[in-house]
Amino acid sequence: MTTVDEPLLASDEPSFGVLRRMFSLERPGTIVAALVVLAFVVVAVLAPTIAPYDPLKQSYLKINTYPSADHWLGTDQFGRDVLSRLLFGARNSLIFGLLAPGIAAIVGTVLGVCAGYFGGVVDRIVSRIIDLLLSFPELLLAIMISAALDGGFWNVLLVLSIAFVPGFARVARATTLAVRQEPYIEASISVGLRTRTVILRHVVPNMASPVVVLATLWVASAIRLEASLSFLGLGTRPPAPSWGNIIRDALGNVFGSPWPIIGAGLAITIVVLSINVLGDALRDALDPDMP
Amino acid sequence: MLRVVGARLLDAVPTVLLVLTLVFVALRLLPGDPALVVLGEYATQDQLALFRRQMGLDLPLWQQYLAFLKGMLTFDFGTSMVSQMPVSQLIRENLPYTIELTLVATGLGVVVGIPMGVVAAVNRGRWPDMGARIYSLVGYAIPDFYLGALLLIGFALNLGWFPINGGGSGFLDRMYHVILPAITLATLKSAFLGRLTRTSMLEVLGRDYVRTARAKGAREPRVIFRHGLRNALLPVATGLGLSLLATLSGSVAIELVFNRPGIGEVLISAIAKRDYPVIQAGVVIFAFFVVVVNLGVDLVYALVDPRIRVKA
Amino acid sequence: MSGAALHATSGAPLLQVEGLTVAFGRGDAAVTAIEDVSFAVGTGEAVGLVGESGSGKSVTSLSILRLLAPSATIRGGRILFAGRDLVTVPRSEMPDLRGRDVAMIFQEPMSSLNPLMTVGDQIGEAIALHEQVSPQAREARVLELLGGVGIPDAAQRRRAYPHQFSGGMRQRVMIAMALACRPRLLIADEPTTALDVTIQAQVLELMRDIRERTGTAILLISHDLGVIAEMCETVVVMYSGRVVETGRVADVFRDALHPYTRGLLASIPRLDGESRRLHQIPGNVPAPGARPRGCAFAPRCPVKVARCEAERPALTPLAPGRGAACFVAGSEAA
Repeated sequence: MTTVDEPLLASDEPSFGVLRRMFSLERPGTIVAALVVLAFVVVAVLAPTIAPYDPLKQSYLKINTYPSADHWLGTDQFGRDVLSRLLFGARNSLIFGLLAPGIAAIVGTVLGVCAGYFGGVVDRIVSRIIDLLLSFPELLLAIMISAALDGGFWNVLLVLSIAFVPGFARVARATTLAVRQEPYIEASISVGLRTRTVILRHVVPNMASPVVVLATLWVASAIRLEASLSFLGLGTRPPAPSWGNIIRDALGNVFGSPWPIIGAGLAITIVVLSINVLGDALRDALDPDMP
Repeated sequence: MLRVVGARLLDAVPTVLLVLTLVFVALRLLPGDPALVVLGEYATQDQLALFRRQMGLDLPLWQQYLAFLKGMLTFDFGTSMVSQMPVSQLIRENLPYTIELTLVATGLGVVVGIPMGVVAAVNRGRWPDMGARIYSLVGYAIPDFYLGALLLIGFALNLGWFPINGGGSGFLDRMYHVILPAITLATLKSAFLGRLTRTSMLEVLGRDYVRTARAKGAREPRVIFRHGLRNALLPVATGLGLSLLATLSGSVAIELVFNRPGIGEVLISAIAKRDYPVIQAGVVIFAFFVVVVNLGVDLVYALVDPRIRVKA
Repeated sequence: MSGAALHATSGAPLLQVEGLTVAFGRGDAAVTAIEDVSFAVGTGEAVGLVGESGSGKSVTSLSILRLLAPSATIRGGRILFAGRDLVTVPRSEMPDLRGRDVAMIFQEPMSSLNPLMTVGDQIGEAIALHEQVSPQAREARVLELLGGVGIPDAAQRRRAYPHQFSGGMRQRVMIAMALACRPRLLIADEPTTALDVTIQAQVLELMRDIRERTGTAILLISHDLGVIAEMCETVVVMYSGRVVETGRVADVFRDALHPYTRGLLASIPRLDGESRRLHQIPGNVPAPGARPRGCAFAPRCPVKVARCEAERPALTPLAPGRGAACFVAGSEAA
């Protein structure tokens, strides 16, 4: 999402250069992807205004209708308007897509910086746990944590955040270790700068770029993960609409109408695809050497 | 060689303990009182006390921990609270379906993904590369359960080519039941492996020893496969382990879509019913797979790469 | 002027490069890496190709085996090997030539061997690619080759992997591999640059020894005139993608014609004779895309005249077997 906000902030030269590199004509896909993501954000924000119906309002007179002028994507088995549910689902996805990587970035960075800066036993324990958690696929980790929790907004947010923390912690730790080797850090310590000052002034700014790239890439992962959890019944609880639980509900009603599945799945695919394309472009623009 | 295997196995011991500890911490400490979670807030004090005694939750924490470790390490998972069946039996009946799905999907993914990556790398910048990139982008973005639902609607419901649900019985019938779910997971996997192989292959093809191979008169197929691909597959082996696990976690949703038996299905329905011993067993089994697969990747590495083989 | 006429040996040379021009990239963005490069290597002769990095000596050597990166194209010239023009040989036939008639060893012994194959298998592969021999005969050849390049305990060591060898030993393996099919020409691209000084001497000694035993011709690429002086009869000096001077090593060392060669000679630290101050040529080699219109060396040249910056001097024969691309040297000699 950083990428969408950046035109507003891009008064300074460097980030403007990054943008120019991102949206160069050699990568026409990036522009299309940016427009899709922009549309997704606008839809998510304006969902209550542009949705033609209340996404929760049931109408037993119009169950399982196919697309029509009144209901562009038809209705589900409860007579709810599928398009409206999709639009509100976008809002749900956007919230988790932004919050989960954001929280994980903060927690993971703090953890990684501490491990990398203080070293010793702290580092050994933290890195061992990070390595272990990283050997789990995010979805598996999320399912395993969800098993202990109970769905619902806050728990889903917690699960997604925990699933992303190890990745950020590893990057932050590696960056901290690299920065610590720099002569100017030693110099800062030797002139008596306090640890906190050194970390805030020298270590943290150095990891802004990798952390931002990681966070951008994980917006897409968070959206996918939330959809998966909701599909499994471990995420957003019905009747609140999420792209994942729309598909879950519709799969039980697959003879009624396939349209909710097709619509919600397409929405996830296109949004995740576009964010990935943007994330790749951002990564290449910020640091061409990063793998 | 044996020493390498021994060292890796030994290294896995603390990992297993750490995993079990984390599971214990997550299940016992995070959500508060499991008895309340399982029985609900309307349970009577007697019911809660009985549950705690049955589950050993009235013991001091360290005794609980030791009992938990002992149970898990001896594969004694207790009894399901819903079906009253031993959990180990539940696992034994369902696990083969999950393993079958994961293996078939992995096989398909490898067979499609690695050649795709090689072709893309060798034709860098030309149309096969572009095609592979688009395939990968879509494969990275499309949720497995969505793709599964589309295939189910198209090929099983509308065309009737494949069974709609179940796991089948007998080898052929089981393979027939596993095809569509496996294709679903293999599509995502091949997108990932294709990308990985391409990157790795491009890197290796730029190495000096590839030039040496050409300089001694090796023709392109030999350069690409004997000298290129063999070296390029080392990082792919790690990726394969990761994607085996991703497929395993993907199988949870796929089992739900295709209404297949399997560990994922067992775990998810146990979570829905709050069947505590089954949840615990499911989580430990998945964690166990992660440890085993990572161990396997390490061992494969040690077998394939002489640099590691000799060093250790 | 053809390279052969500049050459002292009589008869048709084994390798004759004529007017070779190679460019990287396509269309307007194309950059000429080497231009109008001509020289010859006689049968059994050792020729040194010397120049700073960026002078185009590696591009020249890779062109001979047509091992250039896909972005490079040969724009002009001929590479006659035993009378056959390698520039026009179909791509599919080049592998038959490589390793059998012309073999090559590279600068980086550390990374030039396949890490997943035993050294014996890599040498054996070089044989199997070109000759139909029984596995037993091939194995015997492998051991013989390993022994021939001074690797002790060949039977044991042939089963070792490259990472178990030191840099010098790996270069010996590379040499054994290059010699596997008794090539008539061995191209050695900076074979000792990555090695320690003592190891350098050993590897050079080995190459000299091999030349005496097998009579293989050697094209030795180096930035080090000292190495060339030790190994070769003839030297070809390259600067900024062109040949600036050529001649017999003894002649060139005694009396260099081109001011660049003189600068190079003056910058060699000498152990014999009078101790001079170590000379350094001021300035840098121009980048391939930014070469001046006239003589590429003119901006750094201590003896340049007005004509040097306007016109590019061609390689001109100035004495039997000698040539230089310099207006000043030409007028001095005349």
